[in-house]
Amino acid sequence: MGLRLDLFLFTIGILWGAVVSDLVLSKVDRRIDLRSQAVRIVSTLKVENEGSDLVSEVLLAFPDNRIKHLAYLAASPNEGKGKAKVSSNAYPVEAAQPKDVPPGLTFYSVSLPKGLGKGDSLTFDVLAVFTHTLQPFPEKITQADVQLLVFQESAHYLSPYQVKVQSLSVKLPDARIESYTRLENSKIHGSEIKYGPYENLPPFSYSPIVVHFESNEPFAVAHKLVREIEVSHWGNVQVTEHYDLVHGGAQSKGEFSRLDYQARPHVRGASAFRRLVARLPPRAHSVYYRDEIGNISTSHLWGDSKKTELEIEPRYPMFGGWKTAFTIGYGLPLHDFLFESEGKRLLNFSFGCPMNEVVIDTLIVKVVLPEGSRDISVSAPFPVKQWQEKKISHLDVDGRPVVVLEKTNVVPEHNQYFQVYYKFNSFAMLREPLMLISGFFFFFVACILYTHADLSISKSSASYLAKMQWDEVQAAVQQVQNIVNRCLTIHDKLEASLSDLSRTGDIQGCKAARKAADGSLKELIKELKPLLSFLQSSQQAAQILPKVEELVAKEKDLQERLMAKHGAVVDCYEKKYGGREIENRVAQQQQKITALRHEVDDLLEIIDEI
Amino acid sequence: MAPKPITSPVPDAWYPTLSVVMLSIGLIVTASFFIYEATSSRRSRSLAKELITGAVASVFLGFGSLFLLLSSGVYV
Repeated sequence: MGLRLDLFLFTIGILWGAVVSDLVLSKVDRRIDLRSQAVRIVSTLKVENEGSDLVSEVLLAFPDNRIKHLAYLAASPNEGKGKAKVSSNAYPVEAAQPKDVPPGLTFYSVSLPKGLGKGDSLTFDVLAVFTHTLQPFPEKITQADVQLLVFQESAHYLSPYQVKVQSLSVKLPDARIESYTRLENSKIHGSEIKYGPYENLPPFSYSPIVVHFESNEPFAVAHKLVREIEVSHWGNVQVTEHYDLVHGGAQSKGEFSRLDYQARPHVRGASAFRRLVARLPPRAHSVYYRDEIGNISTSHLWGDSKKTELEIEPRYPMFGGWKTAFTIGYGLPLHDFLFESEGKRLLNFSFGCPMNEVVIDTLIVKVVLPEGSRDISVSAPFPVKQWQEKKISHLDVDGRPVVVLEKTNVVPEHNQYFQVYYKFNSFAMLREPLMLISGFFFFFVACILYTHADLSISKSSASYLAKMQWDEVQAAVQQVQNIVNRCLTIHDKLEASLSDLSRTGDIQGCKAARKAADGSLKELIKELKPLLSFLQSSQQAAQILPKVEELVAKEKDLQERLMAKHGAVVDCYEKKYGGREIENRVAQQQQKITALRHEVDDLLEIIDEI
Repeated sequence: MAPKPITSPVPDAWYPTLSVVMLSIGLIVTASFFIYEATSSRRSRSLAKELITGAVASVFLGFGSLFLLLSSGVYV
């Protein structure tokens, strides 16, 4: 089949070659890395313009059967040896549909920053990552077997341009190589197979090669990964990741023996993987790892100032075709990810999965913003499908806005930062506490209403009337108590004025205090009268009345004695008697006053208890 | 203008202390509210005093329970 395609392309290439611009690839160096489940192809292209027109686009061609597995494609200026890095000055790559192209190929065009003039040349790297391209062969293996993979590629660089010199190297894992296609100029160096150099090949040259090799790298494929990033302005970014993981390598057949696996895991379970490592951002806290039936205890966490590493083990070793579903979650400090810029808030977060070498078929990233966020916009470094949702969570009224980003075929190269911009009024943060406060306040209002409401059914029954009367009596007694208490405070004031007098000798001030006290005491007695007459007339008060009357009488007595004492002391000062003499004169009074004060206090307590 | 990190209005480390302090003040005021409700007779009770006590208690209980939620990891 490959050969037929080759011939087909070759013919078309000859017919078509003249149509394309006059670019020539003077040197192509391809390095294919097969050490993980994703195939990474780094092609270093040296383009040369042999025509006279200015050229600013270079076309890349991929066969159609490959294109649906193409996860990532980036072009960047060549920075010497080493892997192509995803740098900020990457060249834009777009899908292109040039005219008169042969069928069965898909094209992408790389826009060069500066056009190539006549005779100019430029070297740049193209990184292409493919998923699900390594085919397990045999497709089904037992627990004891090793996993063998097949990889197909062309030894010649498939390009719409003429290629002058090219070479290809295939890097394999450090293990056995079952077989590989031998062509002229092919040689093997340890775990690396080299093809080329080949010279002066026309456009669309194609020479299929097949490599069959052993690989026990983890084939962790997430059918679906849902990452939920919940922002709270109260200081936290909560990330929850729901994994739906499968071992995407050769299917396991026959029975699984836990005993064999436990005894010799490297022999009886070479194709399985038992742990995954997630690199979480630094200062991650409250990390958990669970599935539908609860916490999974086989996990380890350690961290430093640069990262937090979470090592998780699924409940069972993962063999080919086995599935597992679990959830990990962690909290992150807000100030590492949320920023304010030009009146807008922006969340800067990484897009892909934190685990090494996990290929994700469908990745859904949900960013849950606080309630009240407006004018939401997303800036992602690559095209994603996006829409908005609502999520009702704790203390929400109309739900939180959720930005959903969906991308298929995600590889670790997609672990880049994306930004969500939104506007938010800081006062909207008070929404949650106000909701709690109003909840409590309604509770108190309900209590007030309950105690104020009269819930009795029969308003004319004897017991109801008695209760009403008793309430009135209680109110009257409380008022009496209040008045007596106020009288007592006035007494205290008078005593205070006396002690002032002894310190400063200010007779006029003392007299004024006396006058004020007299006035207010008179008013209080006036207030007391109607209350007492009400109590006397009420039947319900019969029990409590004697105590109240005693209280009032004692108070009156106390008041009189205090006045007498006050008068006497002031008199003595006016006559300029000595301190000792004054004390002698009022000593008897003072004793009685203290006794009466005690009695009044006792009576107040007794009435309180009734 | 360079992006400026946004932090919480109250440092996270204060949440437990704040919640304990505010909830205890709130509960004390609530207790005094109910003591007042139960001991004063229907006629001598003043509505303003009840409402003020209730409002003060609900402010303290509201913020106290918010900080309790935050300190226990429920970020609202």
